[in-house]
Amino acid sequence: MEAGKVCSSNSVLQARRAVEQLRLEASLERIRISVAATQLVQYCQEHGRSDPLLTGIAASSNPFKDKKTCVLL
Amino acid sequence: MGEMDQMKKEAEGLKSQIEAARKAAADTTLADAASGVAPAPRVQLKTRKTLKGHLAKIYAMHWATDCRLMVSASQDGKLIIWDAFSGNKINAVPLKSSWVMTCAYAPSGNLVASGGLDNMCTVYNLKTPVVKTVKELDAHTGYLSCARFLSDTEILTASGDTTCALWDIETGKQKTVFLNHVGDCMCLALSPDMNMFISGACDSLAKLWDIRDGTCKQTFQGHTSDINAISFFPSGNAVVTGSDDCTCKMYDLRSDQEVISYQDAQLNSGVTSLALSVSGRLIFAGYDDFNCNIWDSLKGEKVGVLSGHDNRVSCTGVPQDGMCVCTGSWDSFLKIWN
Repeated sequence: MEAGKVCSSNSVLQARRAVEQLRLEASLERIRISVAATQLVQYCQEHGRSDPLLTGIAASSNPFKDKKTCVLL
Repeated sequence: MGEMDQMKKEAEGLKSQIEAARKAAADTTLADAASGVAPAPRVQLKTRKTLKGHLAKIYAMHWATDCRLMVSASQDGKLIIWDAFSGNKINAVPLKSSWVMTCAYAPSGNLVASGGLDNMCTVYNLKTPVVKTVKELDAHTGYLSCARFLSDTEILTASGDTTCALWDIETGKQKTVFLNHVGDCMCLALSPDMNMFISGACDSLAKLWDIRDGTCKQTFQGHTSDINAISFFPSGNAVVTGSDDCTCKMYDLRSDQEVISYQDAQLNSGVTSLALSVSGRLIFAGYDDFNCNIWDSLKGEKVGVLSGHDNRVSCTGVPQDGMCVCTGSWDSFLKIWN
């Protein structure tokens, strides 16, 4: 048996795996980008109002903002 | 024809089939479809906190689900648990190996994990009087680039050995190995419904996996270099990637292809990290050029920048409630912005 045969049976296995994977991916049903994009836009629009980084956060409700405290003397 | 030649021919045929099917679905781009949408406002965020404490480059950070605590990992050999509201350190966990590349917070808040050039994922219990090592997950034959907990009993890892794996933390064994990438796996992200995950690798591909049956469902091409960062769009129907090719891209899962690219002719630094705001409208992407650029995800335009670090931004994270964005850097600091 040629030394090359051991290496080539690995390549054969790899090639078989690659083909099987491609068969799986080829069988996928794809939707048109226009449909997908509409849904992505819709999601952003629906959730935009409750996105603090988009709408901004009031200083009084910002847990990360350092609060300046008043001391009663 | 030999078997190899036959398979080569079949592979070429299937690739053409896939390309044709994708082309047929490509009736527009996301930017064109969003042309009627008002542009996102100019985003100007302020640094609210600078977290100082690490003594070397920060490589990773991850928010806890309470949106207040977070964990960071640095090559000073420590994990630090921070209270981001006060800026105080809650815990410092010394690492056996200082060559850390990733850290993760379990959804319960009970555990954290780290991993890196030691090829292992180490899980720690934060709730014992002194932080204890729960398990060392040792089976990868390459560095650990990313880890994410599914629960206190299961964790997903991505490795430089080109595989991803699902582990049973209690037994310390791999339940499933995800094989398909041909380059080092650099990042992973869990789908919102936790049934799938997506990985990015040095083979410039992103792959979608079914966690339970272990199969690769979809492969996304387009990048021309290593994919260093990956995240799901909050609806779970799309994925955003960041690469050494200096671009970020969004791929829609159901169209099975790229729908928009985020790039600028003047930007010639690789993307190291990324995070999305809760609506998915804003993408915070960290770059090698010390900045974090903010992109309008629908229009592909830059709407802001977070400048303030003195070295590469290596990690970015937005907590579940979306109240801020955290950036971590090789300058050893973490910054909280909103």
